[in-house]
Amino acid sequence: MELAMMLLALAILTLGSVGSFKYRWIGLCTAIVALVVGLAACRSLYYGVFIFAIGIINLFSLVGIRSKIKGVDYGLVGLMALATMYIANTGDFALVLAALVLVSVPTYILVMVREGGANVEVGIKYITFMVFATVLFLIGAVILAYTKNSFDGLLYILGYVMLVMGLSLEVGVAPLHEWVPDVFTSADPIPISIIASLAKIVPFFAALWILIYTASTLTSSITIFTAVLAAISMFTGNIGALTSKEHARVLAYSTVANMGYVLTCLVVVIKPTPEFIGFALMGGLLMLFANAAGKIGFFNAIKGEGAYSPLMYLLAFSFIGVPPLMGFWGKFFILSSLVKVGLFMAEAGYVYIVVAALIVINSAISIPYYIRLASELGIGWETNLTNFIAVSVVIIILITVVPPNWFFEGMRVLAQTIGIGI
Amino acid sequence: MIDDRIVFLLLFLAPVVSSIPIALAYKSKGWTEKLPYLSVFGIFISVLMSLYIFFVFPENQQYAYDWIPDLGINIVLITDYLSRYMGVITAVIAFFIAIYGLEYMRGDYRPSWYWFFFNLFTASMLLVVYSDNLFLLFVGWEGLGAASWGLIGHWFRDDDEIAYVGVPKRKVGPLELSWPPSFGGWRAISTIRFGDVPMFFAIAAIWVFAVDKTGKSTLNISQIEWGTLFTTIGAAGTVILLTLFLMGLLTKSAQVPFSEWLMTAMTGPTTVSALLHSATMVAAGAFVFIKVSWYIRPWELHHVPGLEIVYTFALFIGLISGLYGALAASGMLERKVLLAASTMSSLGLMFAAAAASFWIQPEPKVAAGMNVALLVAFWYMAVHAFAKASLFLVSGHLIHATHSRFLCGGIEFAKRMKTPFIVTIIATAFLVGIPPLTAYWVKSMMDEVKLHLFHHAMETGAIHLAIPIILLILTSLVYSAILAKFLSLNFIKGEKPEHEHLEGGGLMKLGYVLMASVLFVLTYHIFVLEETEGFVHAGGEILSIGVGGAIFIVYIAAIFKPRITALSKLGTFFNDRMYLPFVNDYILPKTGFFVSHLVQDYGNRGIDGFFNTKVMPGLFDRISKGIRTIQTGYLKTYIQIVLGLVMISLILASIGGMWI
Repeated sequence: MELAMMLLALAILTLGSVGSFKYRWIGLCTAIVALVVGLAACRSLYYGVFIFAIGIINLFSLVGIRSKIKGVDYGLVGLMALATMYIANTGDFALVLAALVLVSVPTYILVMVREGGANVEVGIKYITFMVFATVLFLIGAVILAYTKNSFDGLLYILGYVMLVMGLSLEVGVAPLHEWVPDVFTSADPIPISIIASLAKIVPFFAALWILIYTASTLTSSITIFTAVLAAISMFTGNIGALTSKEHARVLAYSTVANMGYVLTCLVVVIKPTPEFIGFALMGGLLMLFANAAGKIGFFNAIKGEGAYSPLMYLLAFSFIGVPPLMGFWGKFFILSSLVKVGLFMAEAGYVYIVVAALIVINSAISIPYYIRLASELGIGWETNLTNFIAVSVVIIILITVVPPNWFFEGMRVLAQTIGIGI
Repeated sequence: MIDDRIVFLLLFLAPVVSSIPIALAYKSKGWTEKLPYLSVFGIFISVLMSLYIFFVFPENQQYAYDWIPDLGINIVLITDYLSRYMGVITAVIAFFIAIYGLEYMRGDYRPSWYWFFFNLFTASMLLVVYSDNLFLLFVGWEGLGAASWGLIGHWFRDDDEIAYVGVPKRKVGPLELSWPPSFGGWRAISTIRFGDVPMFFAIAAIWVFAVDKTGKSTLNISQIEWGTLFTTIGAAGTVILLTLFLMGLLTKSAQVPFSEWLMTAMTGPTTVSALLHSATMVAAGAFVFIKVSWYIRPWELHHVPGLEIVYTFALFIGLISGLYGALAASGMLERKVLLAASTMSSLGLMFAAAAASFWIQPEPKVAAGMNVALLVAFWYMAVHAFAKASLFLVSGHLIHATHSRFLCGGIEFAKRMKTPFIVTIIATAFLVGIPPLTAYWVKSMMDEVKLHLFHHAMETGAIHLAIPIILLILTSLVYSAILAKFLSLNFIKGEKPEHEHLEGGGLMKLGYVLMASVLFVLTYHIFVLEETEGFVHAGGEILSIGVGGAIFIVYIAAIFKPRITALSKLGTFFNDRMYLPFVNDYILPKTGFFVSHLVQDYGNRGIDGFFNTKVMPGLFDRISKGIRTIQTGYLKTYIQIVLGLVMISLILASIGGMWI
């Protein structure tokens, strides 16, 4: 039934994209309809609603740009959003990988979108790394899946490293982040807001899923690799952002730092022990949602040359991790999972505690540049698309004013769907 | 019967809530002239509630409401003997002073500030009085500190010389012995904080170590098994814990060497001085000491090592403060400061009496089974409160009438100011211990207690316990002289005032007449109550009669000869409070500056160098440069970096994998 609805959504999306050659607005309308159908097919409503909201906001932000492929771009974003929704519906290895590709490929085209032309140079730089990343990821995933059936230590470690490196390259974790500052600063802010928000969720989800699915006795030894990458990414991102002037560049490095925080969720995957994974999944997703909301808000503000000041500050506070905004809860649950694992692991438990401490230190380092960003992008109120989008994303980060116990319940459903009991 | 929660809520909140309107209306002259009546009404509600508790609530009942049970922090109130009486005393005194204040503070430049803090002061003291939980008590305690700062520094503009303490421009060494209100407020809060912080830690330590009968942790004074607690923490632990706790009480009660703030607290409005000196603030320290000793029952804990040291310490601090205060007052010529020093002396006697409880065994048939040392300390506090408040209110009226804060006014002046004159005679005579007036009976019991210590010293050879009786009698005599001097130099033998402003004063007179009249009620109570029967007996003892007679002679003599010119140098030394201000204003700050310079010059340079100027910024600089150098913009370079990293990782992973 759900699969049928997803297929229906895809069909609507395809028809809409075709129709948009004639009338561009058809693309937008059908994309929205497809997302509604997709939401109805979601097993985990809480997860689905967030993706739906992010997807819709991304769609509307595209309204403000006059691109060559106007109409089709709605279809592409719709496709990404549907794939992101669907990954939480499936417990099937092949479909998880398919979702990854479905989210990755549309961004190759989106990254080139700009006012009245195509940004080919950026496109090439981006696509080169994305292809490389996807291939690494897929090979890593396949190797890991193989070791699940017939275990081989060497293969497992190779698979793990390839998967994590592929993920890092895909989302921009340092030291594989070189493409991020360049692409973020030279592409149009709107497509970048999509790449920095919606496109980040599936790779993490897929990696987490695969790592949990294939976890072995060696996992706890190899997580140190991920931990080191996460630490490098946090520091590189934050120091880079702290010492950059250009807004888009600050946001690029902030993405690098945020991906470092989220990467620590993978560190927690040592054994499918329910509570650790539960907190990590919840923290990772909230962090990704908060990152998505913040990036959309800030990039749109760059595009619109400023947005309403209080909204910008709220986004900045969410990034910093001020309670009760969403960014705080993301970090809080990630920290909780790390500390729990650290206390659980008798030996080498300190590694996890150190990682948790690094997150806290890095959050402190990030304070000045987020505040600076908010103060420089913040202007008085004007009724326009930029502020409409800013209000929408601020609503998202304000949802957690109600402490997200409810989200944990949602995660329980999600975890059952993808085959982890929490 | 009214629900106990409502009674307590009204008791504590009525004064605060009723003073909020005037605090909010601070900009409107019209409203700030009318709203003080509402504030006074709030205190009146507290009076009613305290009386209701006194007459209707059962004695020794505990009322507990949860707050943070996990930390033992709860709203626990108790209606024991001490709280019931002290609650009424506090509320009534505050109410009388408030009536007086309606006139005294008329036309002041910030009535909103005054009334808000005045009422907060009262409410905080009531909280201290009724609390059984140490943390709740501490909340009220801090309320007292904050309100006292606000009130002492009320005339913060320092623009009226009449609010100063000390003689302007009088210098001793590097120090000017003259203090404006703003400095007075600061001296009060800084001294009190100095004691509050150790006290807070002591309460924390009590929470960690103390248990009740069932073995559960508790902060409730009446439930803590004090004997078990002291045995658990050992002799050194007991001494440290109680000394830390006493730090809070001694600073609040302005005992030596923390007395300086009380002298300069006289920079506040006189109503504040009256409240501060009678039923709140300084009384809080002595009250809490009596209350805690009431439940520690030190006389049953002679086997506990360390406890005797603490009580001996408190005994002598009290006695030394008593004599110091009386002597300092003997050299003083400022109306309020003289009274302040005498208060300090009285508080010393209260501490000394309460500390003597360690050596006094209560007998079932005497004083209703209570420890007479604690009982007499408490009763002295009650008598002192009303007498001293009356005297302060009178001196406020005199300052109004003469525009001078120094003692002045002869017999002609007294004839025109009959009411204050009579009230002063009553208040001084009733307080110094002239037979058969109120304080005589209380002081007689105090003599008995100290005499008991003297006998104890003779029997056991603990010779230091022979000293208290001598110090007490000496203090009583000097004390009698100073209050007589106050009476004489204000109404009988003083110089003619430069100004005389005798109109009005109706509400002020009402305030202190009501206040002094309570002294008669107290005398009546001493004669009819079961527990104070012993006071009356003590009054019949030969020692008491002798001391009472001596006090009377000194009193009369001092009235006729209030100033002895031959001793003027000694008087100046006493008036300079034996140079104790140097500790507060010179030695301590200089030490502080020295330490802060040390930290600034040597400590901070290292810390700054690491975090702010050299190491960390340098590191950030280098990392930032590195990060930016990578971004060449060339795809080729990026591919090289990424491929290189991936290959290296895979090689390392292979090696690691094979090794595992």
